Amino acid sequence: MPVNTKAIKRRIKSVSSTKKITRAMEMISAVKMRKAIEAAINTRTYATLAWDLLVKLAKVKKDNLVLLEVRPVKKLLVILITSNRGLCGSFNANIIKKTAAQLADPKNISRQRVENGHLEPANIVEVDVVGVGKKGADFAKKMGYNLIASFSDFSDTLKLNDVLPICKMVIDEYSKKNYDKVVVAYTDFKSTVNQVAKLRQVLPISELDLEKMITDLGTEIAEKNKITELELDNYIFEPTQDDVLEIILPRLVETQIYQATLESAASEHSARMIAMRNASDAASDMIKELTLTFNKARQAGITQEIAEIAGGAAALE
Amino acid sequence: MNTLKFKIATPEKVVYENEIFQVSIPTTTGEITILPNHSPLVSILQAGELRFKDNEGEHLMAVSGGFLEIRANNELIILADNAERAEHIDIDRAEEARNRAEEQMKAVKTGEDIDYAKLQAIIEREVNRMRVGKKYKNIKINS
Repeated sequence: MPVNTKAIKRRIKSVSSTKKITRAMEMISAVKMRKAIEAAINTRTYATLAWDLLVKLAKVKKDNLVLLEVRPVKKLLVILITSNRGLCGSFNANIIKKTAAQLADPKNISRQRVENGHLEPANIVEVDVVGVGKKGADFAKKMGYNLIASFSDFSDTLKLNDVLPICKMVIDEYSKKNYDKVVVAYTDFKSTVNQVAKLRQVLPISELDLEKMITDLGTEIAEKNKITELELDNYIFEPTQDDVLEIILPRLVETQIYQATLESAASEHSARMIAMRNASDAASDMIKELTLTFNKARQAGITQEIAEIAGGAAALE
Repeated sequence: MNTLKFKIATPEKVVYENEIFQVSIPTTTGEITILPNHSPLVSILQAGELRFKDNEGEHLMAVSGGFLEIRANNELIILADNAERAEHIDIDRAEEARNRAEEQMKAVKTGEDIDYAKLQAIIEREVNRMRVGKKYKNIKINS
């Protein structure tokens, strides 16, 4: 018997148990993805409303608040959002590639994305990284960027409280003028088959990028505030406008970072779901092929045995 | 009867959205009650209980931190860090959370590096949740 049927049988068994695992992972990812998308959508209302209010406040008076202060960029902080675990297709590779490409171009990355920003972009930018998820932290270490913090123990259902430490650290560092610009690198969830790696400015608060991030989620910003200056004069601020701004600005940063992590989570799970579906399909094909080979081998074995018996009988006559 | 378009949202979800008759809100400058046709106002929320009346009667809600905006078109928007309907509050869990925070607070005193202000905010929040939750229970038993 030329082909070992026993070995093929063993192979089929191992492939089908792998398939069971990938199938299960696919389903788990599908559930997690749905949850993450839901959370991202739920944040949208808050983000839009907070944004509306800020636009109004900004119209009244642009104060010299630390979080709005635009400085020439010498030091840059990147919040790199990746996954903790692999087996999610090209999810991590995409975001890391995008980030690396952007960081390689200091002229572009050091541009402050705000209106009336006439600051000359710098030629050399020092880059520090905050890693969210293990893969991003590994990348920063490998590329020799200074990894100032790494956050990796998040629960599957991400709550705002989970990302608050990141926000607090970023805001603190920016207020202390240790960094002149903070960007977040995340993966924008467009659909289950389409995710786009993106970099967005977080600090100083950029009207351009914040607006983009909200519209990215598929909604229009509540029709542009068409209030006149006169109407705004009627607004009462308690206790004072500065106090209100001081409360609202960090909230915007938090919301933006929270949203980025949610988008990334949704993207990660959908990328994993697709990867696992492909793996399951590949396993199915493999099982089909192996079964065919197995049957052929079995048949060949039987034919050979019959031939032997027939041969033996013929020899006796 | 005049109504106010009321919407209360947290970063995690929209907690409540409906037309209401009046609402009392805890702010850093004291509790304020808002009736329809209020002039535009922006103010900061404090941890406390929020009461509002809609056509089903009076409702209680525990809120903590955030801000509120009254728009000229009779719209009230509250953006809270946390907001919870009184009937959804789990008093036991709130108590547990407070106890945990208090224990951590003790650890701070023995020199561990934990954010003191954050713990205080947690304790304040949980105490408030417990209070609102209990109040709601009492109202329900009496009525």
